[in-house]
Amino acid sequence: MPKHYRPAGKKKEGNAARYMTRSQALKSLQVNLSLFRRLCIVKGVFPREPKKKVKGNHHTYYHVKDISFLQHEPLLEKFREIRTYQKKVLKAKAKKNEELARLLLTRQPTYKLDRLIRERYPTFIDALRDLDDCLTMVHLFAVLPASDRENLEVKRVHNCRRLSHEWQAYISRTHALRKVFVSVKGIYYQAELEGQKITWLTPHAIQQVFTNDVDFSVLLTFLEFYETLLAFINFKLYHSLNVKYPPILDSRLEALAADLYALSRYIDASSRGMTVEPKSDASSSSQSNDREESELRLAQLQHQLPSSEPGALMHIVADNNKEVEEDEETRVCKSLFKDLKFFLSREVPRESLLFVLPAFGGMVSWEGEGAPFKEDDESITHHIIDKPSAGHMYLSREYVQPQWIYDCVNARIILPTEKYMVGSIPPPHLSPFVDNEAEGYVPDYAETIKRLQAAARNDVLPLPGVGKEDLEDPQNLLYAGVMSRAEEAEAARNKKKMAELEKQYHEELKMELRGSAVDVAPVVEEVGEGEESVPDAANTQTAQDTSDMPTLLMSRKKRKLYEAMKKGQKKKSEAVEALEQRKKRLNAGQQ
Amino acid sequence: MGKRAKTSRKGKKAWRANISTEDIEDFFEKATKDALSGGNLSAAPSEDLFHVEKSHDIPVKRKIEKHRERVLRCDSVLKKNPFVQTVSSSKPKSKKSNKTIVIESKTPKQAQKDAGDDSVMVDLWADDSKGEHESKPRKIYKKTSTIPAVEVDPAGCSYNPTTESHEDMLAEAVAQEMQKVYKTELGPEPVPLTIEGDAINEDERYFLGVDNVSDGEDDAEVENEELEAGNKLARTTKRVTRVVLNKRSRQKELRKKETKEKYKEKISTEIDSLPNILEEIAREDEEKQNKLLRRTIAKQEVLKIRPPRLGKHKFEAPPVQVLLTEEMTGSLRKLKACCTLARDRFKSLEKRGILVPSKHIRRF
Repeated sequence: MPKHYRPAGKKKEGNAARYMTRSQALKSLQVNLSLFRRLCIVKGVFPREPKKKVKGNHHTYYHVKDISFLQHEPLLEKFREIRTYQKKVLKAKAKKNEELARLLLTRQPTYKLDRLIRERYPTFIDALRDLDDCLTMVHLFAVLPASDRENLEVKRVHNCRRLSHEWQAYISRTHALRKVFVSVKGIYYQAELEGQKITWLTPHAIQQVFTNDVDFSVLLTFLEFYETLLAFINFKLYHSLNVKYPPILDSRLEALAADLYALSRYIDASSRGMTVEPKSDASSSSQSNDREESELRLAQLQHQLPSSEPGALMHIVADNNKEVEEDEETRVCKSLFKDLKFFLSREVPRESLLFVLPAFGGMVSWEGEGAPFKEDDESITHHIIDKPSAGHMYLSREYVQPQWIYDCVNARIILPTEKYMVGSIPPPHLSPFVDNEAEGYVPDYAETIKRLQAAARNDVLPLPGVGKEDLEDPQNLLYAGVMSRAEEAEAARNKKKMAELEKQYHEELKMELRGSAVDVAPVVEEVGEGEESVPDAANTQTAQDTSDMPTLLMSRKKRKLYEAMKKGQKKKSEAVEALEQRKKRLNAGQQ
Repeated sequence: MGKRAKTSRKGKKAWRANISTEDIEDFFEKATKDALSGGNLSAAPSEDLFHVEKSHDIPVKRKIEKHRERVLRCDSVLKKNPFVQTVSSSKPKSKKSNKTIVIESKTPKQAQKDAGDDSVMVDLWADDSKGEHESKPRKIYKKTSTIPAVEVDPAGCSYNPTTESHEDMLAEAVAQEMQKVYKTELGPEPVPLTIEGDAINEDERYFLGVDNVSDGEDDAEVENEELEAGNKLARTTKRVTRVVLNKRSRQKELRKKETKEKYKEKISTEIDSLPNILEEIAREDEEKQNKLLRRTIAKQEVLKIRPPRLGKHKFEAPPVQVLLTEEMTGSLRKLKACCTLARDRFKSLEKRGILVPSKHIRRF
């Protein structure tokens, strides 16, 4: 606490009064360091950097108000209570009173973080906004090995696993997944929930290790908070689907480690079968007995559903038509893999694909027990395989590498499968998180995808206004995959002209806004000239024009700003040029 | 006052004795006083002047009682406070009875399961709108930094990247490594733990600094000698004559005049250049403003890359996770993936200013 009494003649003001070091904070809170760290993490109190570090640069500073905020936390008292209780247990053990120790251990006081979650995230949207870290952490700990040394129990790992699967099941059920990016670090997913973009990272399906440079006790404290948060969020989400939470899963599927599939079946069954009344059965014991029975019945019903029935996931797709709020993108995502049936080989990352494929409306099965349909099913359209060669090949289906799915998802179209055939090296996996337009450099494969997208769009909805950029019969060209040289050049010229006109228009608008009396006529004239002459020349001239005009009119401040902007643009273009040159060099080197 | 009969006017004393105006003055004084105070008091009836206050009259007896009703603090402390729960010395029996009830209804396992169910899980955000009205979220919950929690790797870190972007990423990784190398190369050499040569004896150690001290003394002596020589020279100068003094005074006056003129000139020129000075001041102000702006922007830019310095150690960015050229196979199965995502998370927490970076985490 800040001292209320200040010795005469000693004024404490400014940074000295507003900030305190960590050890001061510990003293004033009367807690030990580990408890303080836990409390800070749970309450969301972080160190700050004061302007003047009164005690020196090697201290960590906290704001006085933050510390007083911690002091009023009821959890602090609870932690103290737990500590004294543990002392009791220790004492009993030291006295060799095993029975008492056991008895005491069974009645240990516990604490809950519900109130804190409500306090830190007053609205549901707030919680969703801050979910990135939470999801990544939970997904990470779901694959970590339980370890005594790091104090990571099996129960917690299982809980993380369950929570992550519940989240994935919800996302895939509502088709909220938007982007997937497979990087060396792991697989990035991006979903959109209630207008919030939630990005998370899941590790690859390999053994994760404990490293020495990581303080796992800190991470576990974070995890504790995040587990609670995600549980509440899942609760809310499941109830919005009219599904009971926590779900009761088919024990057979659970044993076969097909939790995600079991979950999706559960959601499907419960949202189809019964309407849950979450509020009514909250309190009394007689009612809870009834609930127990209904749960049992539900689980039995799930057993009765033939597990090899392929329709489980299809029902989800069919049901979703009923849901009211659906935006354009969700509809596109939902119907991407519609009517396609996938079969996963043993070596492909099953967890990830089981999540992604249903999220885009596909039906999946895998090699192993409990799968919805077998490998020899005739209706399978795509077989995902990651081996140099497949053994027995069915003619009725296409054999593709897993990257094809991720690329399709990111492009939102079904890409041609030739490049992703078994044994071949697939085209580069592009990041959907990079905005090519903003970056200025567009990789080759991105351009092909763009063309294919345009073609698909024209194919689906032949509107006159859509095909603005590819003016003359783009479909033939694009399906062929190659453009003849002349046509390509022409298209490019058209594009350039459009861009130029647009730019000029914007420039004029700007001028008008600025209220300067500039004659528009000469500019128009020059553009006319430009169109007649070589486009490049026109480009430079107009550019010069536009660059001269503002410099004359603008104030110095604005001019400087403008110059800075120019510099930035130049830098960017130089970077792009370097990339292109590098590519040229590479090509030359290959030939 | 009317004229009196003539009496002897010999001396002031007599004059005074003869005419006494006291009574008149008294009367006037009284009259004015009465007029000002609103009437003669002695003439007014006593009811008008006094009245008996009866409204708040407390009998003396009750007053004493009231005083006696007061409870001493030491007594009041001992009284029962409805807000304070009593702590009984014996263990409460209620717990046991509760337990038996639970056992009656269902087995403890079932009860535990129930506790994990709906009865505990409540929709925290059921009354979202109300929550917004009720309490503003604390300022603390604003994010500590603008760095996102999950930073998406650039395109070059893809498991099957395009060659261009991959080379870009590789270059970055190499640059990171080289920076470390250069830092060790160009930085000051660390103090060696051992140096060549014989160990110094105890006796020799005492004489180590002695030579230097004597050198310093020598220097001081030389300086002293020089000073003395200067004094001797001063004594040998000529005496100042009257003529010289006069000359000096004249010159002094002249110089004074000149400086005055110069000062005048200077002021006039300054007055002329007043607009210039104003301009200069304005320019300086602008420069200051720009400097401030630049500094704040630079600070923000820096915060985008790394956290503020929160503790003893600086934040060190983790190495870029990128495949080597020979590791690029294009197959997801053969991917040599990163198996230390926990470190990435930890570094991210440090980067966002949530944790204080530290050097040695694990103490063995």
